Amino acid sequence: MEEVAQSLNEGLALPATLAARDLVVARAGRELVRVERFTVAAGEVHVILGSNGAGKTTLLRALNGLAKAEGDLIFEGRPVRTGRDRLRLRRRTAMVLQQAYLLATTVRGNVESGLRLRDVAGPDLRRRADAALDLLGITHLADRRRDGLSGGEAQRVSIARALAVDPAVIFLDEPMASLDPPTRRSLIADLREIFARSSTAVVWVTHDTDEALAIGDRVSFMADGRIVQAGGIAEVFNNPASSAVADYLGIDVWLEGVVETGDNGANRFLLPGGAVLHCVADRSGPAFACIHPEDVLLLRQRPQPGDASLRNVLPATVVSLHPAGRSWLVRLEWAGGRLDALLTRAACEDLSVSPGERLYAAVKATAIRVVPRRQGGVGKGFVDA
Amino acid sequence: MHLILQGVRQAFELLIKGDAATYDIALRSLEVAAAALAIALVVGVPLGGALALSRFPGRRFLVVLVNTGMGAPPVAVGLIVALFLWRTGPLGGLNIIYTVRAMIIAQVLIALPIVIGLTLAAMQQLDEGLRLQILALGAGRWRLFILLLREARVPLLAAVMAAFGAVISEVGAVMMVGGNIEGQTQVLTTAIMQDTSMGDFAAALALVVILLLLAFSTNYAMTLIQQRGQKAT
Repeated sequence: MEEVAQSLNEGLALPATLAARDLVVARAGRELVRVERFTVAAGEVHVILGSNGAGKTTLLRALNGLAKAEGDLIFEGRPVRTGRDRLRLRRRTAMVLQQAYLLATTVRGNVESGLRLRDVAGPDLRRRADAALDLLGITHLADRRRDGLSGGEAQRVSIARALAVDPAVIFLDEPMASLDPPTRRSLIADLREIFARSSTAVVWVTHDTDEALAIGDRVSFMADGRIVQAGGIAEVFNNPASSAVADYLGIDVWLEGVVETGDNGANRFLLPGGAVLHCVADRSGPAFACIHPEDVLLLRQRPQPGDASLRNVLPATVVSLHPAGRSWLVRLEWAGGRLDALLTRAACEDLSVSPGERLYAAVKATAIRVVPRRQGGVGKGFVDA
Repeated sequence: MHLILQGVRQAFELLIKGDAATYDIALRSLEVAAAALAIALVVGVPLGGALALSRFPGRRFLVVLVNTGMGAPPVAVGLIVALFLWRTGPLGGLNIIYTVRAMIIAQVLIALPIVIGLTLAAMQQLDEGLRLQILALGAGRWRLFILLLREARVPLLAAVMAAFGAVISEVGAVMMVGGNIEGQTQVLTTAIMQDTSMGDFAAALALVVILLLLAFSTNYAMTLIQQRGQKAT
């Protein structure tokens, strides 16, 4: 078992809090999920992404001990095999579902419920519940009963209940799926900060690519019960391993960087290599800049500086050409990394685009979509247990 | 009409004056029903819960048996219990036929399927996600059961009321195994039967009023508990 634990930790910056190898979930003779390898480490957000029915929830329940599975599951260095092991796993982790599933008591009672079930009592119980309520900004709701809460409030209570126990791993199964977009955005922004400050490992299941980009460090893309591609979030989004993954993620290019908001809306997106993009964003901080290939215009010559609508003019080199339906996908390289452009065949011929060619890529500042992302970092527990 | 008014007046006279025999009968009714209900709950709620939460071969058959039992005619239960407790029957040695104990046994058998069946239904209408959430919070089997009971308390109290209603108003089985012996095994329902058959309608009606008051007040108390914390609509 030690060997398995070691081999699963290979290539990871930190030893995995939870690791699975050759995990198989079968019901009534039918194999639902088969996963060769899955790990999540302290302070990391691992997103399981995929369409409905891909087996994401089934995998999550095998990982958190709610469902029986064949194969190796190692939690904090120890194998999980028996029902007793699974209870130990459940008592060190927490789960948030799409629905809040609050118990018939007050908000405080709910936040305390996980602690009580783990035999925390006395002043410790109150202190940790208070800290969790504060963390999610719901202290003012503490004495309310579940019936009067909005969907967003209820989900905050559910998350506070999960964080109050200071779990080694928190599992979230489509936690934003029943919330309206504004509620979703504010909750994701809060969670991004909360997770950045803590050492809890996070397994986040979603079908939503924006959500994955906003919260994830790593992503495992699932289809038909298997993880078909896994890796760093930008790596996977920029290099889909198959057309099935590409169809789901889209063909946009994702650049990692930092937004710097300036005066009079002049925002800059700073890339690691020192390159800069002009963009529109309402908040500074780490983010992804998403450039859709159809929004990239290729030019032979640098345009006249007077043309205000083309804010970014990037000298770029053609790397390769790929047929994409009736168009060509032109893969380019520039100072900031990668860039793709989608051109009609006629435009390609007109420009006589070929690998090695040096061109100018023009992208409007308004065409660059900026998605704030979480700040990496390993801190302490949520509730300093 | 005169008959009814006279009966009602007599009922309140008996109640207000504190007629010892009437109170004795009412108290025995309450005692038998409460004991039977308590035993049925202690046995039936865990069984109903287990039936709701577990999966095993033959489970469906058991559920059908329970559901059939919910509608079992009390006289049939009475006859079976009487046969078992008869002096020459398998349990004749206990020597409890025509005692309050025998009546309690019969009523437990009437209430038990109701309690099991309604507990099963109450627990099954809970969302599967709630069960998983409670498990993920760190509950073992026992605490899962307790928390689910609390979540299902509204339909569970309906089960308690249904079972209480069935036993307090039941007459066939208690008559058969208790024998309606005055001062010993006579309860409200059997006394009403006897008064009616002897033409003493006023006395019978008085006892009916007491029976209804008893049923109303216990159900009122349980409804208050049930609806506590529920939003008024």
